[in-house]
Order: sequence, then structure tokens, then C-alpha cells
Amino acid sequence: MSQISGGHLVAKYLKEVERVGIVFTISGGHIENILDGLTQYQIRTIDVRHEQAAAMMAHAYSIYNNMPGVCLVTAGPGFTNALTGIANAYLDNVALVVLCGRHPLRDDLTGALQEMNQIDMVKPVTKWCATCYDIKRIPEYLSIAFRQATMGRPGPVFLELPPDILFVSTDEKSVALPVRRIHKTYVQPDPSELEAAARIINSAKRPLFIGGSGVRMSGSGDALAQFIDKTGFPFALLNNGRGALPDNHPLCINDGGFTGIMTGAPQADVIIAAGIRFNWVMQATKLFPDAKVVRIDIEPHEIDRNRASDVGLAGDCGLVLSKLLPLVEKQDHGEWASKLKNAYAAFLITEQEQRKNPSDPIHPNRLVAKIMEVFGEDAYYVADGGDTSYYGLAGFSSAHQAGVLIPAGALLGCLGTGIPFAIAGKLSHPDKPVIVLNGDGSFGFNSMEFDTAVRHNIPIICVVNNDCAWGMIKHSQGMSLGKDRTTCAELGMRHYEKMVEGLGGYGELVTEDADIVPAIQRSVASGKPACINVVTDPTVTSPATVMFYQNFAAI
Amino acid sequence: MKFSALLFVLYSVLKIASYTNSAFKKYIGKVSAKVLIKTEDGERARMFIFDKGKVSSFTGDQKKFDVALVWKDADTAFSVMSSKKKDASFNAAAEGKLKVLGMSVYAQWFEDGIKLVM
Repeated sequence: MSQISGGHLVAKYLKEVERVGIVFTISGGHIENILDGLTQYQIRTIDVRHEQAAAMMAHAYSIYNNMPGVCLVTAGPGFTNALTGIANAYLDNVALVVLCGRHPLRDDLTGALQEMNQIDMVKPVTKWCATCYDIKRIPEYLSIAFRQATMGRPGPVFLELPPDILFVSTDEKSVALPVRRIHKTYVQPDPSELEAAARIINSAKRPLFIGGSGVRMSGSGDALAQFIDKTGFPFALLNNGRGALPDNHPLCINDGGFTGIMTGAPQADVIIAAGIRFNWVMQATKLFPDAKVVRIDIEPHEIDRNRASDVGLAGDCGLVLSKLLPLVEKQDHGEWASKLKNAYAAFLITEQEQRKNPSDPIHPNRLVAKIMEVFGEDAYYVADGGDTSYYGLAGFSSAHQAGVLIPAGALLGCLGTGIPFAIAGKLSHPDKPVIVLNGDGSFGFNSMEFDTAVRHNIPIICVVNNDCAWGMIKHSQGMSLGKDRTTCAELGMRHYEKMVEGLGGYGELVTEDADIVPAIQRSVASGKPACINVVTDPTVTSPATVMFYQNFAAI
Repeated sequence: MKFSALLFVLYSVLKIASYTNSAFKKYIGKVSAKVLIKTEDGERARMFIFDKGKVSSFTGDQKKFDVALVWKDADTAFSVMSSKKKDASFNAAAEGKLKVLGMSVYAQWFEDGIKLVM
């Protein structure tokens, strides 16, 4: 009779049912048996330096691979450390499976090591959470966890596994693994709603399609391509949906960054919003009070949030677009698209000049342009920071799905996501350059993950946009309190490149425009995880800061 | 002349609104911004200064601004700025008759502010 421990059973399920290839983790006593199982079943472990980063890497891995990322954390502080990453995935609607240790069931209420009510803490930031109490039900619980994470609107799930079931063994044959089933059942709108949407789409004179993360999650690239090709709608793809069609598509307005949308949306007579929430990132739709709006969202409750839709189509984006395709007419909105591009270009003259011309000190827009000069569109970009997120969003361009990710610009506004996302990006696309543009403030949160990158030979390239401050906060405080009263906003000059060198990576300091490209090229040649610490103009304020401040000023 | 007069009238309206229009007062109450409106040749120009609730203005071209709306010529500027059409500025930008220098987010802010008083 072959015996299997609970920990090994977890790993067996992950490998044989869900085909999990990588688990992001930190070792811990309560989860030792799962870790041993991961070795037994040859699942790669990326052991990080802070559980927050493990959750963020798994979150990003989910985006890059369109399958749930898995992280494994130990009880107590391992759990609490992971909470920020879990909350970030929750607000980002990303499938994330968190497996967590806990104190033994037998020691409940005895003051056991790391005894705490983890479930009640994690419940508000997960789609589903549970504790498994029976070794034989481990596969069943895992199956529920993966289904909950991925079906309908995705989100993080949390499964607590106590040592009472991990460290004991059972007859392996007595535990049947569930058969993984990809459910082909999709919610789709009523035909009359589709026809109503098509009528609006066919009547559009100045349309705009805005796609969000739901476009990527549904894997709707082909359906979207056909829809755009037929309707001729200019489009912007935001959040994790960026790259579902390439940024260089002739109808794409992503090169205008948020300015493109701010310029175009108020003029649009029809807006299709697919897989994107109308939240503060979209300024809760105040940008387009007069347009007719068709919304597509897998979560019916989102359809009228903050803005009544003229037609709401609840369903998977790809499926809905496919259903709309035969109902919409072939249109050419090329003239409107050109007009829109010309209009927002008139608003971006200064930014374009900043990109073209060297300056001393270096302007962050110029820094982004020089990075693009080295890597072009055949690369994956991440930006992390306040102002830095704006510069990355506006300046980076990629030909790839999720080729430009700005995780700190998502709902949680979670700084520190950049390096973990870049590591997950490089693991997902080892043959492509993966570059993270990090603010110097945000660099501090998870920069120890360079140790992870060195140990696991994951050669990301981090360019620090170093303005020696929490730039967005500093400039925002300058506007509200006065430049002489900024508080907790200065960081000073720090040699982050030396820190990375100390961890075994490659580092260079850059202070002049002419040195940016050669330094990046040397970092690539090193083959190591690299940090190029670029000192940029500390007086520069990004438009995002102005909007951020105006948002509070209006209160 | 018409364009310069329009800018002066606009200043007057904004100035009065900063005392009398509660929505506008709240809107500008915490914001400091310098908005320059000018013709491309710099012959006609007026700076609007918002300083946390106070509005002031003076004529003449300036180098320092948060945003500058640069019109191809005075006639175009007058016709677009006095137009009630929602897409007048957009069309002017698309046709190369309007350039926005500096931070365009302030242009949007300025335009939204004008809507409150007009």
C-alpha cells in the first residue's frame, strides 16, 4: 500500500491536474511538507525574500501566462506579509491561488506559534477562502480553489492547509484526483441586447473602443482583431488588456497615453467599454458624459457602475465580440481616427520634445525614450512608481500581449510591484528583454528581490528613475502645502546600483544623457540581473501628479 | 483686436466668478496654475494666473507657464474660443490650428473651469 503525505498530495495535484510549473514561495516550518512535495513532483520553486513579492510574482505570472499563478506562504507573518499582494490581485481581478500554512488544528486556542485567525483577515480581499481539515479532501479543495480563481470574473483565492493534514499520510490509492475540466459554459447576453448594441455601433460617427483587463483574460485577441477590422473603431487597450492587439496597430491610440483618451473620449459619440471598470482610473466616466455607451463585462454588476450604459452586455469579452461580429457593418472610421491622433498629438508636443532632446538633468520622458531606443517593441516593459508609472505608460510601447504593464497604476496603487512583475515576466518570456522602470521610492519596497533574481538567474533590467524623492508626493505636497513644507517626501541620493552589485547583479550609475544607452547595453551584455541608476530631474512634475492633486483639491 | 478683447472679457468673467460663483470658487480654491493663451507669433497673449482662489491676469507673451494654448492666428482663436460647439477646440487641434505646450492636463482643467462660469 503506497502512502502519500498531505504535503505531497498538494504537489501531486498541482502537477498532475493543474499542470503548475512554478510556485512562488518562501520556506517555512508549517509548509515544509508541501515544499518537499514540490521537489518530489519537480515543480520549480522561486523562493523570494518577502511573501508580498511571492504574491505579486504569482499575480504577474497569471497575467503573462493567462493561467492562475500560485504562491505558497507560511503561517503568521508569512501570511500577513502576503496580504498586500493578495489585496492587489483582488482589486486587479487576477486569478491567484494562495496556499498557506497555519498553526495545527490540535493547538487551537492554546497560544500556538503563529496562531491567528487568518481566514477572517483574508476574506475581504479574496474571491474564496477556506481551510481544509481532511487529508483526503485536499484535491477536492484545491480543485474548488482553482475553479473559483478562474471562472467568471477571476480573483485571488486562499486555501489554508494545517500541518495536521500536511504531515500525515494516507493510502495514495484511496485519494482520487479530480479530473480537470475546462468548462465551456459562458454567460452571454440576450440576442435583443446584442442587436441593440449593434444598432448603436453601426450608427457611430466618432467611435472609440476602450478595452481593459477583461479583453486579455478572455483571450479575445482574435475576436477583437476581427471586430476592430470590421467596425474600424479606433481603440485604446488599458490595464492588463494592453497588447491584446499590438500598440503599433494603425487604429490604436495607446501612443497618446491617457492624453489620447482624455482628448478623444469627450468627442466620441459611441464608446464601447469592454472588460474595463469605470472607476477612478477612468475618472468614473466624467470624460464622456454625452456618448452612447455599450459595456461588455463578465460581471453583470459592473455594467452600470458609475455610469448608466445604453446597452450592457454581460459576458466574456471574446464571446460577446464574436456574437456582435455578424451584426455590425463594415465601416471605415479612418478619417475620424486620423483626426483623433492629430488632435492628441497637439497636446503632446512638449512631451515629444522632451523625448527627442537631451537635457541636463535628464528628463524622465527622455529616459523612457532612450530605453525604447535600445529594446524597441520586441520587449516586455513594466513601470512602477507614481510619476514613473505615468512616464512608462506614456512612453513604452510593445508588440506583445501584456507587453506594457503599469501595476502601480491599478486600483490599489501598489508601489513595489515592478521588480516582482519583471521577474515573473522574465520567467514567462526568458528569450525577450524584460525591463522595469522603477521610481527610486518604489524601488525600496521589493529591491531585495534582486537577490531572488541572482539566485535563480533571472536577468531582468531595472532602470531607476531616480529623482531622490517620493516625486509624486513631493510635488503634490508642494502644490497643496507649499514647496517649503513638504514632509516625508525626500529620499536623497542613494546608490541603488551598488546595492544590486552587492547582491551579485550588475550595476551602473548614470547622470548624463549620452551614457544612458551604453550603460543599458553593458547591462544586457553582463547577462546578470541589472540595475541602472539614472539620476533624473527632481523638479519635473508629471501630469499624473496634477490630476492626483486635483482629485483631492476637489474634495 | 477681437481676440484680445475676448481674452480680456474672459478674464473679467473669471475674476467676477472667483468672488460670486460658489462652484467656481471651490474649483479654483486649492489650485495654482499659470495658463497662457497666445497667438503663434506672440503678438497677442494673455496670462491667466490662478493662485488658490485668486485670479489675476496680464497681457504679453511669457516663457514660464504651466500650459500654453498657442493659436495659429487671432482670427482662428477668436472663432474657436467664442464658439459654442463642443468640438471646436478639438477640431482646431486636429487641424494644426491649436498647439498645447506644457502640461495639457491644465488645459483640460482650465476648460472645465470655464464651463462652470459660462
